[in-house]
Amino acid sequence: MRAPDDENLFIAGTVPDALAALASHGVGAMPFAGGTWIMRAPIRREPQAAFYVSLDRIPELSAVDIAIDRIRIGACVTHSRLAAQLAEVEPCHGLVTAAGSAANPAIRGMATVGGNLSTWDFPAADLPPALLCLDAEVELATTDGRQRLPFERFLATRRELRPGTLLTGVTIPRRPVRTAHARLPLRKAGDYPVAIVSLAILLDRNGAVEDASVAVGSVESTARRWPELERKLVGHPLDPETARVLAEAELGAFTGRDGVEAPGWYRLQVLPALMRRAVDAALRSQS
Amino acid sequence: MATTLTVNGERRVSARGPMTALIDVLRDEFFLTGAKSVCREGACGACTVHVDGQPVVSCLAPIGTLEGREIRTVESLAEASEPSALQQIMEEHDVVQCGMCFPGILMVLTGFLRECPHAGRDEIKAALVGNICRCTGYERLVDAAAALARRN
Repeated sequence: MRAPDDENLFIAGTVPDALAALASHGVGAMPFAGGTWIMRAPIRREPQAAFYVSLDRIPELSAVDIAIDRIRIGACVTHSRLAAQLAEVEPCHGLVTAAGSAANPAIRGMATVGGNLSTWDFPAADLPPALLCLDAEVELATTDGRQRLPFERFLATRRELRPGTLLTGVTIPRRPVRTAHARLPLRKAGDYPVAIVSLAILLDRNGAVEDASVAVGSVESTARRWPELERKLVGHPLDPETARVLAEAELGAFTGRDGVEAPGWYRLQVLPALMRRAVDAALRSQS
Repeated sequence: MATTLTVNGERRVSARGPMTALIDVLRDEFFLTGAKSVCREGACGACTVHVDGQPVVSCLAPIGTLEGREIRTVESLAEASEPSALQQIMEEHDVVQCGMCFPGILMVLTGFLRECPHAGRDEIKAALVGNICRCTGYERLVDAAAALARRN
């Protein structure tokens, strides 16, 4: 498509187009998806890149493919489209809650999955904890080809990705788990959550927990799993109050970050209640 | 290089760079001053316009990504100088206070009531989560939108 030399935005039509444009502009170039973080940079006195490659006209990146065994979400799928398209699709109850309650309706209509995951300096993001529980994989493309990374590994390395790397999609395996996403914004809605608990629970035939994935968002600088609590849940019936008590005993696993909206201790303090709410929601969701 | 935009059905050309926020082109170049530039980070909703029928905060939309898209601003709501049904009911309920948030609220509710014409108060409130009113005139706003939904 078009890219005159004096312009600072290139509208890519295909993934190879975008990768070539990123490669030719080197470290000064960045992908541009929904723009909700990049466009607010001037008012926050944050730097903008010298050159952006816009991805929103690339059909492949806007697709949601739902197969029997997995779901693939293109990087430019917005939060509202994700919530709408996966509304009745298992095991996405938690992910749909995350995508459908983040920020506000206009932002959800613009902000994309790929943009959200690439924004490493956004501790309160809703999608990372939800995707951590679902054993998601992130698909990255460079001019050398594509690779898939386990979600946890992606979160650990996303700041150091090679310049010119493009996040093209996320894949979720469809396991028979019950999922939920509990978040606590300071206003009822429209705020960043001060803490998030996401979970995916596999129950055995007797209703006991066979496998548990619990992830915590917004408490530390990056979302991460809560293995100490996961281990305690396994083998017992899933019960909201029991889960709250177990969470209370394992708060030492996290160090809450201080922020203008909430001090670190407060983020920890609300985790047991969020755990109870998440388990309650998971029990009411389909498996 | 100039960017060609379709605003309220008219072809307009902007000489500003492609990363310029739509709100700045609408207000400073096209003199469409209904949309307001307030928080500039997508939190207040005062700059909301429609792009291909969807509410978009124009402070976060660079014009270079909008070629070929249909942009509609609050100035387009009154067709043939007749206020829209939403505008009329807002007047009947005496909703407008300082007017800063109001154009954005009209654009959000126009899109929302098109999709959910029979929405109740809770749904209307949820749709307005991204619109901050500094006069705190929310109750009358919701009353008016709910009254229109009942009429639908």
